[in-house]
Amino acid sequence: MALKVLTVDDSKTIRMIVKKAFQPFDCTLIEAENGVEGLAAATREKPGLIILDITMPVMNGVEMLDRLKADADLKDIPVIMLTAESGKDNVVNIVKKGVRDYMVKPFKGEDLIARVRKILPLAERATEESPEAKPAKYFTRIDDIIVLTLPAKVTRPVTVEIEGSLQSKVKEMSEASLKKLILDMGGVTETNVSLIKLIISSIQQCQKSGIAVKLVATPKQGEELKGFQETSALSVTHSIEEAKTAF
Amino acid sequence: MTELDRLDLKGFVTNSVQRVFQTMLSMSLTPGEPPPRERIADGRHIVGTVGFAGTVMGNVNLFVSLEFAREMTAAMLGVPAEEVGGEEEVKDVVGEVCNMVGGDLKSRLCDAGFPCSLSIPTITFGENFHIESKGWVRQERLGFQNSRHPALLEVYVKIST
Repeated sequence: MALKVLTVDDSKTIRMIVKKAFQPFDCTLIEAENGVEGLAAATREKPGLIILDITMPVMNGVEMLDRLKADADLKDIPVIMLTAESGKDNVVNIVKKGVRDYMVKPFKGEDLIARVRKILPLAERATEESPEAKPAKYFTRIDDIIVLTLPAKVTRPVTVEIEGSLQSKVKEMSEASLKKLILDMGGVTETNVSLIKLIISSIQQCQKSGIAVKLVATPKQGEELKGFQETSALSVTHSIEEAKTAF
Repeated sequence: MTELDRLDLKGFVTNSVQRVFQTMLSMSLTPGEPPPRERIADGRHIVGTVGFAGTVMGNVNLFVSLEFAREMTAAMLGVPAEEVGGEEEVKDVVGEVCNMVGGDLKSRLCDAGFPCSLSIPTITFGENFHIESKGWVRQERLGFQNSRHPALLEVYVKIST
């Protein structure tokens, strides 16, 4: 069973770097951008590990840590602090609260993984994924929203694979009463016919199950989508945050 | 001379900036004469700011051109510059770089007996704007250069009254 890792940081970039670091391993990444969201995600998902920033809006990492440690169901989840603050007193105070490790930014993904391995075993992600594991490759979850991240190159075989994965994911979402999906094509390097077909089929598949879809694309991709009849009327957001707000 | 005057802010922050750029962006920055703001502010530019407050107060401002900020974003995300998405990503990266430099300085101040807290980063973005900080006891202006772009870092500190 994949290790659930919750990354709590107000910087999307840092969450992305953390996510990338765990990519080679059999892990499911859950993201939260402040302590309140982090606590909610920890309660809901019961992760096996939490990577926690300190300076965040709404609720900072120290308060979130205090609340985690005060909750009988959550207090044993190992926490690694990943923060720009390295003052001796600060570190000592936080370590006393029961964190497993304390890592100071700037950091390299591989250093984070080395720290994690001192606490938990990390299994390499299988190269040949079973059909059941395939959906996890493209999907992440942010709160009650599922994010489908398209790969850099969308070819016909990739389209078939993602459509199959989405079918299972939509079923899973319906069972879990999740009704929001973000289709993130921001990392796609070429807008081609396979991509257009995939966007349309994904939106239709979701609509059939009552799932609302928001599309994330770069401004350049947004212009390119207007050039295809099938996607010319689609409204586009330019970031995950914007898409979240648009629901 | 106060304890605050004795701190080697310049040396410390210079090392910090170089380490953040090298580790997170795989980018080498050479310290040099601080460029005039106009050299960076000629056109669209971005200023990342973090503040700290406690027994000392202050802020750290990082000035870079929009073009440099996009290159920084691409480097941090590991994608080609033309694939950098909207402004949000660029602002996030500049804010995070500022947060790391400010966090390092804040920690140094705490260790030197000036406990303080760090603010979340703020970003000012656009053209034809001017940022000014007044009433500080210590001010450092630090210039950096990568192969193509200059960067300016300003640090302001004062003892809280």
